[in-house]
Amino acid sequence: MKHLDKLIQELSQQQLEKKTRRHFLMDCVSKMGGLALAPLMFGCGLDSKPKGLELSQRDLNPLAPLPPPFRGKAKSIIYLHMAGAPSQLELFDYKPELAKYHNQPCPESLLEGKTFAFIRGVPNLLGPQANFTQKGESGAWVSDFLPHFSQVIDDVAFLKAVHTDQFNHGPAQLFMQTGSPRLGRPSLGSWVTYGLGTENQNLPGFVVLTSGGKTPDAGKSVWGSGFLPSVYQGVQCRSKGDPVLYLQDPDGMSRDMKKNLISAINDVNKEEFNQYGDPEILARINQYEMAYRMQIEVPEVMDINDEPEYIHELYGTQPGKESFANNCLLARKLVEKGVRVVQLYDWGWDSHGTDHDGSVDMGLRNKCREIDRPMTALLLDLKQRGLLEDTLVVWGGEFGRTPMQENREGKQQSFLGRDHHGDAFTMWMAGGGIKKGASYGITDDFGFSGIDERVSVHDIHATILHLMGFDHEKFTYDFQGRPFRLTDVEGELIRKIIA
Amino acid sequence: MTQNNTIAFTTGLVILGVVAAYLLAPEKKVDYSTEIKPILNKHCISCHGGVKKSGGFSLLFEEEALAVTESGHPSIIPGDATNSEMIKRLSDPDPELRMPYGKPALSKEEIDLLKDWINQGANWGKHWAYEQVQKHEQQSSILEAGLSSDEAPTSPNPIDFYVAEKLDEQGLSFSPQEDPNKLLRRAALDITGLPPSDSLVNLYQNQKISYNEAVDYLLEQPSYGENWASWWLDLARYADTKGYERDVSRTVWPYRDYVIQSLNKDKPFDVFTIEQLAGDLLPNPTQEQLTATAFHRNTMNNDEGGTQDEEFRVAAVLDRVNTTYEVWQSTTMACVQCHSHPYDPIRFEEYYESLAFFNNTRDEDTHDEEPRLRFYDVKGEAEVSKIVNWVAENESQAAARKREDFLTFYEPKYESHIATDFDKAELIDTKWLGLWNGGSAYFRNIDTQGSDQMLLNYRSGLNGTQITIRIGGPEGEILTKFTLNKTRGDEIHTFPIKEIQGRNDLFISAVSPNAKPQQNTSALVWFAFVPSLPGKDQAGFSEIKNSWESLLTYNGTKLPILIENPDYMKRETKVFERGNWMMLGQEVDPDIPSELNDWDPDWPRNRLGFAYWLTSKENPLTSRTLVNRVWSQLFGRGIVSSIEDMGTQSDPPSHPELLNYLAWTTMNDYEWSLKKLIKTIVTSETYKQNSSVSPALYSQDPQNKWYARGPRIRLSAEQIRDQALAVSGLLSSKMYGPGVKPPQPEGIWQTVYNGESWNESQGEDRYRRGIYTFLKRTSPYPSFISFDAGSREVCLSNRIVTNTPLQALVTLNDPVYLEAAARLGKWMIESDSNPQKGIANGYQKLMLTQISAKKLEALEDLYQVSKKEFEQNPKSMQEFMTANFEKINPELASMTVVANALLNLDEFLTKP
Repeated sequence: MKHLDKLIQELSQQQLEKKTRRHFLMDCVSKMGGLALAPLMFGCGLDSKPKGLELSQRDLNPLAPLPPPFRGKAKSIIYLHMAGAPSQLELFDYKPELAKYHNQPCPESLLEGKTFAFIRGVPNLLGPQANFTQKGESGAWVSDFLPHFSQVIDDVAFLKAVHTDQFNHGPAQLFMQTGSPRLGRPSLGSWVTYGLGTENQNLPGFVVLTSGGKTPDAGKSVWGSGFLPSVYQGVQCRSKGDPVLYLQDPDGMSRDMKKNLISAINDVNKEEFNQYGDPEILARINQYEMAYRMQIEVPEVMDINDEPEYIHELYGTQPGKESFANNCLLARKLVEKGVRVVQLYDWGWDSHGTDHDGSVDMGLRNKCREIDRPMTALLLDLKQRGLLEDTLVVWGGEFGRTPMQENREGKQQSFLGRDHHGDAFTMWMAGGGIKKGASYGITDDFGFSGIDERVSVHDIHATILHLMGFDHEKFTYDFQGRPFRLTDVEGELIRKIIA
Repeated sequence: MTQNNTIAFTTGLVILGVVAAYLLAPEKKVDYSTEIKPILNKHCISCHGGVKKSGGFSLLFEEEALAVTESGHPSIIPGDATNSEMIKRLSDPDPELRMPYGKPALSKEEIDLLKDWINQGANWGKHWAYEQVQKHEQQSSILEAGLSSDEAPTSPNPIDFYVAEKLDEQGLSFSPQEDPNKLLRRAALDITGLPPSDSLVNLYQNQKISYNEAVDYLLEQPSYGENWASWWLDLARYADTKGYERDVSRTVWPYRDYVIQSLNKDKPFDVFTIEQLAGDLLPNPTQEQLTATAFHRNTMNNDEGGTQDEEFRVAAVLDRVNTTYEVWQSTTMACVQCHSHPYDPIRFEEYYESLAFFNNTRDEDTHDEEPRLRFYDVKGEAEVSKIVNWVAENESQAAARKREDFLTFYEPKYESHIATDFDKAELIDTKWLGLWNGGSAYFRNIDTQGSDQMLLNYRSGLNGTQITIRIGGPEGEILTKFTLNKTRGDEIHTFPIKEIQGRNDLFISAVSPNAKPQQNTSALVWFAFVPSLPGKDQAGFSEIKNSWESLLTYNGTKLPILIENPDYMKRETKVFERGNWMMLGQEVDPDIPSELNDWDPDWPRNRLGFAYWLTSKENPLTSRTLVNRVWSQLFGRGIVSSIEDMGTQSDPPSHPELLNYLAWTTMNDYEWSLKKLIKTIVTSETYKQNSSVSPALYSQDPQNKWYARGPRIRLSAEQIRDQALAVSGLLSSKMYGPGVKPPQPEGIWQTVYNGESWNESQGEDRYRRGIYTFLKRTSPYPSFISFDAGSREVCLSNRIVTNTPLQALVTLNDPVYLEAAARLGKWMIESDSNPQKGIANGYQKLMLTQISAKKLEALEDLYQVSKKEFEQNPKSMQEFMTANFEKINPELASMTVVANALLNLDEFLTKP
């Protein structure tokens, strides 16, 4: 009981020094500057925790940073997910042979035993609708849909024979983000945040930004925490309204008043702790202080107005808009501030050819314009700040698109489109331990299937976890009586793209 | 040596001898379940179990373990440890041979145990949870134990006996009883999810009623069912939308109301179970019993274009198997989908035998989610009975029964998505059959049941489409020929057909001069073969016919339910090789896992029989599971802490005898009454303890596994909101009905291809209990998500309680909490002219206990500084007081700030 007595004594001393007590919050906020790592509690409110109370950092703060099991090459992840699945055949996987067979019926051998979402019968092949040239020292083929991206081509590693067994958006996005096509599993970002915590306690550890006017097809489950505690789920930060839900103080309540309010709540809670001794109360005190600081830091980081003109020029950003460009800039700012995982979803890549926006020649080109400059800028900006080395950037959709032109339900369509296709598609990664200028994976002449160096979704997850410092086979969470992994019972490291 | 010494010496020798004999004798029987199985699970089973059987050796089942391995002889020879390969390999000096391969060797003690076990005959045993629940033997000793209690009960609560026993073992003891008022608050929150009403508090504080009477009163409140429904709806994965990509709304709230009503009625849990799993198979099921079956229609339904309905029908059936086993058996079946259970004795085929029970319902992942139960109004019901009586009189009882079924849930019928062999035809958005001009398709294996007419549900924007249906193929005999015209949405039309018997392939074709090339002439939804009404020449026929036709335009509430396939539509069930639904293996019949209780031959081999099997008193898991879940709701931790799993990998029960006792008593003495079970627990001394914890106790038992203190747990998402509304007087007591949409920040709903929006509810619907909040799976009510409520996509046994800054932001800034604070602030001001007393009154109202001087001082300071600020800044004050009060003044505004603080106190968010 001695330690508790001591604690109470300390507290009553603080009662006497009312002024100090009243201002502990403010003091702490000013002391901490931009980055506060340790929970504030013991540094400011209470000088020491009661001895005999065996508490870990995680007891007070489930997002407290933890070292990875082995030294990872990356500290944070920016994952750019193009929801709807962009066409690899117009962007990265250059197939001159396919052009030669443009408008010819697809060979039956390719169709045997295959199911497509919308293609029925025998469709025609559709040649690439973009022009390709070789760029950089690596000599990678790049599409004229992505003129800016060719500047950074030597920084990225391509995976050209990724495959998935899902060909509908919802299940495929879930598979790509949670390792399972069915709901209920934690997302990649949740696993990483669970394993590593986050560096900046004034910001969420796992931030999600969306553009394109819609959330991904599979909904918020793609950044859900599944069976992991909900604290590890992605927090959607928004460009309009409160950047984080309920972040803004009520009208008419000044920051001073909020400070007084939280201070009073925590004073009462400390009394409650003295009476009940439940460490959950200490955790709550800590969370209220964090909430207060989050209210300051989140709007700051989400505001891009103060960025210099050259940065806006680089990214093509327009403050106040919900755009992929703004989100790329925000991703850089968040990672710079110590956020562990930033996930961008851009909606509108489902080029079936049912309308102009969904055509692979016109609509897709427009979509590429929206991302080309910003994603290039993101890599350049991270690089110039020395952040690219420990930030892993991943780009991809949930599957690829068919080399055949879509004939929805056997009908001719007025625009050129491609159906969903999971046998082969392209993703790229850069930064955080990725071999620069690498290309892995070879597809057949039509880009229909991978013929060598194929990688599965589980392989990608295994590799990402490896770069973050985890052995994907040992990184488990017990649920329903058995250990679960992000990679289920599969996954091989893609060693050839690791630096 | 004196005689006495001699006696003492001799006695000593005898004792020594006994001890030596005991030590030397190999007779100490090794217990498989508690001593051997944990060693095998820990060290062996990952390579020699259900998934891998390295060297052809598996330790999962007795016959496998004793069988001949790849080496040509068995690895375990019962009675002969020395010659058993298993024992040799455990201590082999060659690291290539020594097991476990590449891992640390077993300890000497472990190897000795295994040796003893084999020498004693390698007897297999059952995992404790698979042993039948036995009547406890210690009741008499419990009664004699006579535990003391402040309320001096006539008979002590056996829970306390079992808990005391373990506390003793741990060197711990009970804490004193909690402050009576806090205890009342704890019980009220646990039972009703709300703070106790003022009148209850008064009666109790004035000692007009005892704690036990207060508990009885609370259990009788309708709010009890509303509170405990959250627990059940998490298991039932209840939500108001279909899930997956489009995630559009579904009407399933009558099921939620069924759960609330059943809990309030204290429907016995076995009945509750049978109704939900197989209500449709009960004789002449009532509307209530049919409603119950929506339990398994809470599975998700995929509307995304391009998805195969059969794939997601199968996904739903798999989910039903997994959910049933998780909810009632604490067993994780999902693993067995692909291979024999890695740890538990459930074979791969047994999964599909269980699946066969669930694989024969009519629902097929269609867009309209048929079959659906129709809820007719009084007039409609009268018309239904008139028709049914008419058919009974003019045809037969059996025909009347079929007619009533059809009017109640429109089955049996064929969904148009079963069409194949499309020619100039398509499955529109992979959902409905669309025939172009000159187009055709087949419906295979159709049984018209000899009907003289068919009902067709379709929609069309064109007039004059000629449809011809032929038997067998394009050259076949004409079954029927008719014209489809423009409709207003989906309409059901009746067409005469030729009466034929047996199963036939039907060839359907369309000719439409009005259709453009590749245009769908119509969208066919479903068709059914319902014969024309009998008694055509009887007086009153035309009235009956009119009633029938008007009922077919029913447009009221339709609830997705389970309806079993008639015999001629039965599906075969085959195992899925490696869990892949496209790779079908051998056919299986419905059956239950052999490790569990036996099947009674009197039970029908269908879902109903399965439900009887689950609720049989011989089933070892149902009662244990129920008791464990209820316990966990009250104590925040189960007696088996892995709530979702009681299999061999689960955590062993902290109080096995208590679990057994409660399981037995609930089934037998309480006849499956949940209220009795809850009452037993909340009136135990164990529950009534003070919840404070010293550092020493916390270090010894951080999770309160031994119950040396009362439960102190943060309230659930719904309870937190409900409580704030209740204490501020805003809470609506309205029950039931469609989900409500209280205000939430704009732009939360952004689902693709959906077109629905969050239209804020008006009036009291803004202040309903959380259980009535509309739950959209891909975008649940944000503040509930922050407080760990689930999105209800799959069965959730246990909400993990977290503590995050986002929660603080909700209760600090969500407008509903500010509105509650303003109301509470007003009450506090009005309660006393002295603000200090007002604050004390507010605290007393919320916590039911007097505020301490230090707490009061902190809150009063807050009042004073806020008042000063508002006095200096009246504009802020105006902005802050959003609630429409006649008179706004700095006192009221500052008291609102204090009330805001009260609503955020840890003690308010936590049950004491």
